[in-house]
Amino acid sequence: MTALEKPDLYELDGTGPGLKLIFGRCAACEELHFPRTGYGCPRCGARPENVTAEARAGQATLLTFITLHAKLAPGITPPCVVGEAEIAPGMIEEVMLSGGAEQYRDGMAIVARAEEVERDGETRLACRFAPKEEV
Amino acid sequence: MANLSDMRPVYVIGVGMHPYQFASDTLYIDMGLTAVRGALEDAGIAFPEVESAYIGCTGIGMAAGRIMFNHLGSTGLACTQVENASASGSSAFQMAVLEVAAGRRDVSLAVGVDKTGDQLRAVQKEKVSRLSDTATIPLVKYALMAEHLKKEKGLSAEDLAMVAAKNHTNASKNPNAQFRKPRTVEQVLASTLVAGTTTSLMCCPRGEGAAAAIVASEDAIRRLGILGGKPIRVTASVLQSETPQVGREIPSVTLAQRVAEMAYDEAGIKATDLDCVELHDAFAIEEILYTETFGLAPKGAGQHFLRDGGSAIGGRCCVNSSGGLIGQGHPLGPTGLGQVHELTRQLRGENGERQQPGARIGMAHMIGLGSISIAHILTKD
Repeated sequence: MTALEKPDLYELDGTGPGLKLIFGRCAACEELHFPRTGYGCPRCGARPENVTAEARAGQATLLTFITLHAKLAPGITPPCVVGEAEIAPGMIEEVMLSGGAEQYRDGMAIVARAEEVERDGETRLACRFAPKEEV
Repeated sequence: MANLSDMRPVYVIGVGMHPYQFASDTLYIDMGLTAVRGALEDAGIAFPEVESAYIGCTGIGMAAGRIMFNHLGSTGLACTQVENASASGSSAFQMAVLEVAAGRRDVSLAVGVDKTGDQLRAVQKEKVSRLSDTATIPLVKYALMAEHLKKEKGLSAEDLAMVAAKNHTNASKNPNAQFRKPRTVEQVLASTLVAGTTTSLMCCPRGEGAAAAIVASEDAIRRLGILGGKPIRVTASVLQSETPQVGREIPSVTLAQRVAEMAYDEAGIKATDLDCVELHDAFAIEEILYTETFGLAPKGAGQHFLRDGGSAIGGRCCVNSSGGLIGQGHPLGPTGLGQVHELTRQLRGENGERQQPGARIGMAHMIGLGSISIAHILTKD
């Protein structure tokens, strides 16, 4: 089976290409955060042992998006689309979008799904968001 | 927290620069010594009068200052290297100012010098994954904000191009600038598209160079016989780091507003008192955002302030008369000190064809990756 590119951030949800996002839940402050790290809670500073993983449906609201025309990072092949999305109430993250910009509009529902990418000569499953109705 | 206004007065008594330029074979020591000797000559003092030095750099390596100062005579001065990403020079300046303000030294030097290094960032060693491969690239954050404001407030690509054209044209009159060609809005729009509506000429270049400033106490100014209106007082020096994002505003923009308000409070001024501002325009959208957060224009009206000529030389408050990071350049270590160089010359009335008429109060502002925000207010007594 093809390995996930960033298994610390997401996992397959068992429905084909669908992904769940892995948040951190802090027992000390009870707040949710993303991404979960090995360092503890970024909200209250609690130690890592206070944070547990919480997998949540990879659903988000797209806020804004643009097309990147230059190769700004090793992992991207321009033109490609990135956006800002609300992945949980009040939590805004930059996300990579599947396909071209013409299929997106601000405020639409998007979902996380696994897409194959090449990394150092190997195939990996990366997280790309797509319009919800497509899935 | 003690305010600068509660401490003894500190003045900039000399500034110097080595022009910013694209990557070359010029040694960092040659660039740094040019800036330091320029500042010494400008102040009219000899190097042994300098009691301490702070060197801001990001891409040279350990102990850059000690090696450079050996070539000015081994005076035994206190020497500290400062790294704070793009704000390294600004932070070196803050260290020098605070040391003199606290009464520990009478004359201190801040110098920023940099070569285009390996650009290695600590975030690459954090071992924290992000959903987007461009999540830690500031250009993408600001291009997304520009897109949001395009839909929200009617900000256009032409507005962004107008910022860049103004700053490139200011830089064309600045012998220390990396870019020396005046640019039109059409030329900026026609340059290579990078992200969203942001084109290459709306982004600052990478490069190298050096800038220096010497600060001194009133006692030292009297002792060294520095005359007339040359010393420019530093009336505020503020640095803070960002807090988590709330809503749509980029944390560094929220932070910049907080730092500016703290600086105004420390200097005892209002935004409307500013005559000239050098701000962190790594990307054109930033200048529009910061003119709003600094209170130079109402929120959401930054582009109108620009279009109406408010930020032009001769406008209500000239912004980036040096050419800013977009035009003068952004070699990282020196950038904040290049701003101090520009403002000092503005407030002395020595800025030639880039002179803001009647300039008395100026603010230098930088963002450092991470992010931190730092502001200094300079005042002609």
